[in-house]
Amino acid sequence: MITSIAWKNVWRNKTRSLTVIAAVTVGVFAGVFTMAAINSSIVQRIDTAVNEELAHIQVNNKEFRSSSDIQNFIQDPEAVFNTLEKTPGVTDITGRVIVRGIASTSAGSAGVEITGIDIEKELEMFTLSERLIPGTGSYFGSDTKLNSAFIGEKLAKELYIIRYILTPEAFLSLETIGVPAEVINKLKPLEGERFTTEKKLTGAYAALLSGKEIKDYGMNIKEAAWSYREGSRIILSLLDVNGHQTGAAFRISGIFRTNNDLFEAMSLFVPEDELRTLTGLEEGQYHRVIARLEEDDLTNKVTPVVREALPGLEVLSWKEIQTDLAMVTDYINQIYAIFMIIILAALAFGIVNTMLMSVLERTRELGMLSAIGMNRRRVFTMIMLESIFLSIVGGFAGMAVSAVVIAITGHTGINLVKYAEGMEAFGYSAHLYPTIGADFFIMLTVMIVITGILSAIYPARKALQLNPVEALKGD
Amino acid sequence: MKVVEINDVSKTYHDTEVEVRAVNGVTLSFEKGEFAVIVGPSGSGKTTLLNLIGGLDQPTGGEIIVAGHRLSELRPSELIDFRMEHVGFVFQSYNLIPVLTASENVCFIMNLQKWPKEKRRVRTDEMLASVGLSDRHNSRPSQLSGGQQQRVAVARALAPRPEFILADEPTANLDSKSAESLLDIMEKLNREEQMTFIFSTHDVRVMKRARRVITLEDGRVVSDERTNHSS
Amino acid sequence: MKDYQLAWRNLWRNKRRTLITAASVFFAVFFALVMRSFQLGTYEKMYRDVIESYSGYLQLQHVDYMDESNLDNSFIIDSSVINRIENDQNVTAVIPKLESFALAAAGSRTQAVMVIGMDPEKEVKGLNIRNRLVRYRLTPEAVESLKAETLPGRTGKMLDLFVNESFTDEAGLISILGIDRSDTLEVLPLFRKHAIFENSYLTAADSGFVVIGNGLSEYLHAGVGDTLVLMGQGYHGVSAAGLYVVKGIVSMPQPEINNRFVYLTLNDAQHLYAAPGMVTSAIISVWETDDDALLMTRDRLGHVSGDALAIRTWKEMNALLLNQMEADNIGGAIMIGILYLVIAFGVFGTVLMMMAERRREFGMLVAIGMQKGKLAKVVSMEMLLIGLLGVAAGVAGSLPIVFLGYAKPLRFTGEMAKMYEDYGFEPVMPMLLPDTYYLWQVVIVLLILFIAIAFSVRKVFKMNVINALRA
Repeated sequence: MITSIAWKNVWRNKTRSLTVIAAVTVGVFAGVFTMAAINSSIVQRIDTAVNEELAHIQVNNKEFRSSSDIQNFIQDPEAVFNTLEKTPGVTDITGRVIVRGIASTSAGSAGVEITGIDIEKELEMFTLSERLIPGTGSYFGSDTKLNSAFIGEKLAKELYIIRYILTPEAFLSLETIGVPAEVINKLKPLEGERFTTEKKLTGAYAALLSGKEIKDYGMNIKEAAWSYREGSRIILSLLDVNGHQTGAAFRISGIFRTNNDLFEAMSLFVPEDELRTLTGLEEGQYHRVIARLEEDDLTNKVTPVVREALPGLEVLSWKEIQTDLAMVTDYINQIYAIFMIIILAALAFGIVNTMLMSVLERTRELGMLSAIGMNRRRVFTMIMLESIFLSIVGGFAGMAVSAVVIAITGHTGINLVKYAEGMEAFGYSAHLYPTIGADFFIMLTVMIVITGILSAIYPARKALQLNPVEALKGD
Repeated sequence: MKVVEINDVSKTYHDTEVEVRAVNGVTLSFEKGEFAVIVGPSGSGKTTLLNLIGGLDQPTGGEIIVAGHRLSELRPSELIDFRMEHVGFVFQSYNLIPVLTASENVCFIMNLQKWPKEKRRVRTDEMLASVGLSDRHNSRPSQLSGGQQQRVAVARALAPRPEFILADEPTANLDSKSAESLLDIMEKLNREEQMTFIFSTHDVRVMKRARRVITLEDGRVVSDERTNHSS
Repeated sequence: MKDYQLAWRNLWRNKRRTLITAASVFFAVFFALVMRSFQLGTYEKMYRDVIESYSGYLQLQHVDYMDESNLDNSFIIDSSVINRIENDQNVTAVIPKLESFALAAAGSRTQAVMVIGMDPEKEVKGLNIRNRLVRYRLTPEAVESLKAETLPGRTGKMLDLFVNESFTDEAGLISILGIDRSDTLEVLPLFRKHAIFENSYLTAADSGFVVIGNGLSEYLHAGVGDTLVLMGQGYHGVSAAGLYVVKGIVSMPQPEINNRFVYLTLNDAQHLYAAPGMVTSAIISVWETDDDALLMTRDRLGHVSGDALAIRTWKEMNALLLNQMEADNIGGAIMIGILYLVIAFGVFGTVLMMMAERRREFGMLVAIGMQKGKLAKVVSMEMLLIGLLGVAAGVAGSLPIVFLGYAKPLRFTGEMAKMYEDYGFEPVMPMLLPDTYYLWQVVIVLLILFIAIAFSVRKVFKMNVINALRA
């Protein structure tokens, strides 16, 4: 009955209660949605890390990571493969040959990590091949006598393999996507000209187009002009197994684009056999063996098992390799909780104020209740419940709205590419698909109830201090 | 049988620097079934005396015994339970819980006393019928007139069968017709249920109906007359 | 009685409500300021680190060097150019620099590195690499000898935690190991005795020596006295190679610099890359470092750079870092935005309650002849006062923390410091002194108040006196 009175009391002053409820709704929604958006980029980052870059578990020679000496290969790769195969939860295994070197073209050079891979096996294990930029070739598709390499866009740019040319085909594609003829005509003077960097291209068309045209079609023009020299060649220089400097020309098989600039700038994949020929490493010698698990969540369970079984080697999970990501994933729940606590603390001020008003304007009524025998515990409970109802109604409304908005945006996605260039440099996608776990809502519900309780303490104490004799006073 | 015994009770307030003796050495007792009014000019100590009897306030001297309880021995939380168990209150205004309907208000104290549901319902119906509001079960206080609200308050006070009912100026905010009908109901219940009523009032209409009139002046009883007019 | 006096007294009639509302504004302002100060302070430190250890505030470069950072876009710099730049009122020094890529090898270990050639004596005038020289290193042997001595409290345990860690100054060593100030005088001589790291910095006359980043040293297992092979592509595609002895080890601020940093004299670099007399840039160090001063300096030096060369500011050179910080910054801004949104609702709720509660009073005031305009003015003033009270308290409350955090940046010690370092961060949380971000909080709160005031003024003017009196 106290519960029902408390509930009814909440709705006595609708405007006032609704203001607080709306505040809680908006605060909770804004908080949850922001976190879902942040969470989305983390989930995607983990996804990318696992599916494109690292797999779940790496086994290295103990010395390999601290110095990528070509001699630091795994002594008994057979045993590693066997152990991993027997470990429950492991689904795929492959070995890699990894050598540091320099990639150069006549125009530029860059330090790279040359990874020799089992092309077929890695196609099964990773989704990197899907990141191929259309029109740049294939994932080791063509048969050719020349060595071939699969490289990142960022690296390709550093080596000036990618250029910008407004070819007749480029103009045609601009026309088909609906760029006005007027704009295309203005661009005509640039036909055939080569631009080595994006900046030079934008500089050139900025002189010809109006500000609005640049804003509307700049992206399209860049995309259309983007081109790379088919079959470009790069020179890889590295130290072979005997410590002698060696090198060879490689043909670009394809260029991939990911959300991780650092990975894109560093990685260069070549067929394992070609790297063996170049370095003199023997068949079966690997620097690293990587394994995929059934699920991401198994990582913390399986890694120690493998580590136990392979005492002479370094066994690492993706979390241990990407420490920044590990920090984020390990502490994200605490970060979310702190974030919500701050919002709820701000909301608590509003609830306290409202409840206090509500108590103080009911002096007589509370006095009367006390006079006719409603004891202190019941009065306290009633005020407490009123406050909890305020926060819960707002909280649930906020969570409901969030759930709906997250479901919609999680499906359609939010594109922040225009606003957040810096995100991709960190390896976080600027294309967000908000998502958040159900456990977060449970935690949040508890926090909202606590907010209601804490905000009620002061007003409820005030209510208890009221003198029942007040009720008997005439007007 | 004595319901209330008041022995040499005093109540002194320390109002800033002045000492105010609101009640000064009052000795009174009330029998079961009485219909008594306490009258006197403003500041004579009527309300204070009523508060002391109802256990809303503690005397600074003397002793009050209600239904065997020495009120001075009760702790504040016990006093609240004492009020719930033994005293019915009808105030001048702000009597009802605004968010509850008439029947819920009548039921409220029985609820606190944990009466079984069915008994509660029967008693509520009975009480609303005897105050003539059988048709207003589901009305909220704001939908009732002042007189009707006071009748609900009387029904609520009486429903759990307290030892006695304290009514502080119950007719002060009512027009004559409503006041008369409220008094009719209270007299009827006094008779039918043998319920003790103790009023404080200025209202001549109430005084005319009372069978005992106690007059206070400056915190002292100056007269205590029993009239035997039939009712 | 003046309007503001009436407003002031009204405020204190309902003291509790005024205080709670002001407290909510205080909470938001205080929290926003402290958080901003930490966030901006961290960026500021990151920028300063990169500027002081790598890019400098201004650089003279070939026009195309920003887009194509290779040796083909290098240029010849002579003393007349340097003199003309140094004559500028804001310029303190000009440091010619040749920078390129190379593959560094020590034994059979290799790593791609950035090779930087500068005159070490000129370099100290603009950059701060010298102070990053490693002075103490907790090698396993050093830890053993230290533990044989009497050490205060938990220091022994801390030493195990930080085995192989390097330190560039005593203050950092003391704070990271969590040694009490009172013990410092006793402990320092012990570290000086057992943990000193012997190495030295480059001199202008050195030839065949390099100073390398701490991370690179660990990676290549190349310590002081070891030989490093640098291989790369020289000017116009000539192949470049040379042998160098490691003379010193520096601890650079960012991992990507620390793991790839190779520093040698300008002469050696020019020789290695077969580019005699050529530089890829010249770092211009300045007195005044704020944005306006830098842009003005750049414009004044326009006549020196001409068409072939250009002067770049650190912001242009570090666009990526700025972008990253900007992306990070948005997160903080959203957080504060939500906070203020919630506070705005609170303020609005208070206004709503106040208007409802005082309807009768307002009715009475208008009935006895107070103009509605004057009433609206008093009510507006009340709200403004509540808001400003909150802002003032928030600003006042944050100032001591911000000043303290700036003067003595929060440093993590022990396990916390270790965790930060393992995650690749420096265990320091610097703060930024009050700046425009302080002003913003006032603007935001004023905006919230403006909305609340607009609402209440409308209510006052729409009030029906008779109804209000009956309320």
